[in-house]
Parts: sequence; structure tokens; C-alpha cells
Amino acid sequence: FRLLLCISSGKMLSMFKSIPTHMDYKGQKLAEQIFQGIILISATIGFVYGLIIEQFGWTVYIVLAGFVISCVLTLPPWPMYRQNPLSWQPVIPESSAEPIQKPQESLKKKKHK
Amino acid sequence: MNTVLSRANSLFAFSLSVMAALTFGCFVTTAFKDRRVPVDIHVSRVMLKNVDDFTGPRERSDLGFITFDLSADLQPIFDWNVKQLFLYMSAEYATKSNALNQVVLWDKIVLRGENTKLNLRDTKSKYFFFDDGNGLRANKNITLSLSWNVVPNAGILPLVAGSGHISLPFPESYEATRSY
Repeated sequence: FRLLLCISSGKMLSMFKSIPTHMDYKGQKLAEQIFQGIILISATIGFVYGLIIEQFGWTVYIVLAGFVISCVLTLPPWPMYRQNPLSWQPVIPESSAEPIQKPQESLKKKKHK
Repeated sequence: MNTVLSRANSLFAFSLSVMAALTFGCFVTTAFKDRRVPVDIHVSRVMLKNVDDFTGPRERSDLGFITFDLSADLQPIFDWNVKQLFLYMSAEYATKSNALNQVVLWDKIVLRGENTKLNLRDTKSKYFFFDDGNGLRANKNITLSLSWNVVPNAGILPLVAGSGHISLPFPESYEATRSY
């Protein structure tokens, strides 16, 4: 039974690791603005509501709700965060005539990432 | 912010910072509030004994028994930054050997949401009223007062004295009860 569990969790882990979670730069900026805005708005609403009903517990609950909404909106890579993908250089086919330029090009590709 | 973990880290840290700022705001809104409330104390019976005191350096010390009434309305103190109140009633007096003595006779914890109107009748003191010596007999002036500690959600813990106290003299001899 334990062996079965190890195998299944190993497969699941590799499955999770293979799900693409990247966003492009404009998408990252958008995600950051979205979650900052949501948390700040829920913080002000929570503060005012807690002040009115005289219970600090409600302030915490409202901020927690804002946190959960932000998680749902910004953690998974929705398509709206992939609207401006980077334009990579086209792949240069491998040729044996240029052994010197190859390591330079692989260096360039690493920097772009 | 390229991976889920990186975004989650950023989001969580931001939320915690915002929560800390809100807690500070909660503290600021109630920092300068006056937490005194009028208190009414009335003593109905005092008895004085001279007993063996094994905790002190001498053979026999004075031991007092007080029965009192207490009434106060604590509702104005509770706001969104108060978690509970720790009330205690203390007796303060002077003797020939010590200039200032303070003894706690009774205490109570009042949580938020509990009944805030304090109305005790004929309550006996909770803790022993031992004197350091024999200074309670024929003492002219013993002052009972109610004070409380406000335990907040965020901020300082103020120690507030209630605005009501009562002074009374103790009996002249031992084992004699005195009614008021």
C-alpha cells in the first residue's frame, strides 16, 4: 500500500511541476496591481466595518476574504496575464560550420529567460 | 513573480503587512480613551481575628474578614479593542510598622460579551486579609477601592482606578464583629 502511495504521489508531483504557471511581464505587473488593490480595498472596508460594529474580529474576517479572492484571481495563470508574450528569436538550425558562435548563443538564450 | 510560489509569497507578505497596519490603526483609535467608571462599594460586616500565621516571621498576625456590596456598570469601557477586564478590589492602609500596605481581597475576570453590570451583594472576600503584624486592630482608616486592568486586542494595558472608594475603621478587639 505504501509503495502504491509513493508511486502515485511521485506521478502527481511531476504532473504539478509540468503545469505551466508562467506569466509574461505585463501580466505579472497586472497581477501585482490586482492583488494589492483587492487587499487594500478589503482592508479599508474591514476597518470601517469593524469600527462601526465594535468588533475587531470582523475586520480580520474581511481581510481574510480579500486574501482568498486575491489568491483565486492572481495565483493561477489566467489567460489575461499572457496577453503580451515575449517574442523570442527564431531557432537557428544547428550547423557544424560555426562551433564558436554556439556557446555564445546559448549564453544569450539563458540571459533572456 | 514568475511562479505560483513566488506570487503566493508576495501576496501573503503584503496581506500580513496590511493586517499589521490595521491592528496599529485599531490601537490608535482607542489609545487615549478614558477608562474610568463610577463605582459604588458598601461594607456590611467586618470581623477581626488574631491567628497563627505560618507564612510570616512572627507567631500571630491579624486576619480580617470583610463582607461587602459592590456595584458598577462597566459597559462604557468595552469597545472594539478590549478583550477582557481584570477587576480587583484592594484594601490600603498604614500601620505603625509599615507606611503603606495594599492587600488584594477579591478579583474577577470579565470577558467581552459577558454581563457588564456588576451587582454583588454580601460578597465575602476571596483572599485572606493578613496583616504584616498586628496593625489591623483599632486601625482608624482602611480604604477599599476597586481597580481594573484593561486587556486590549492591540496596544498598552492600562491600569485604571475606579472612581469610588470607601474608608472604614476596623474593630478595637479581636473576634468582635462590627456591622455597618
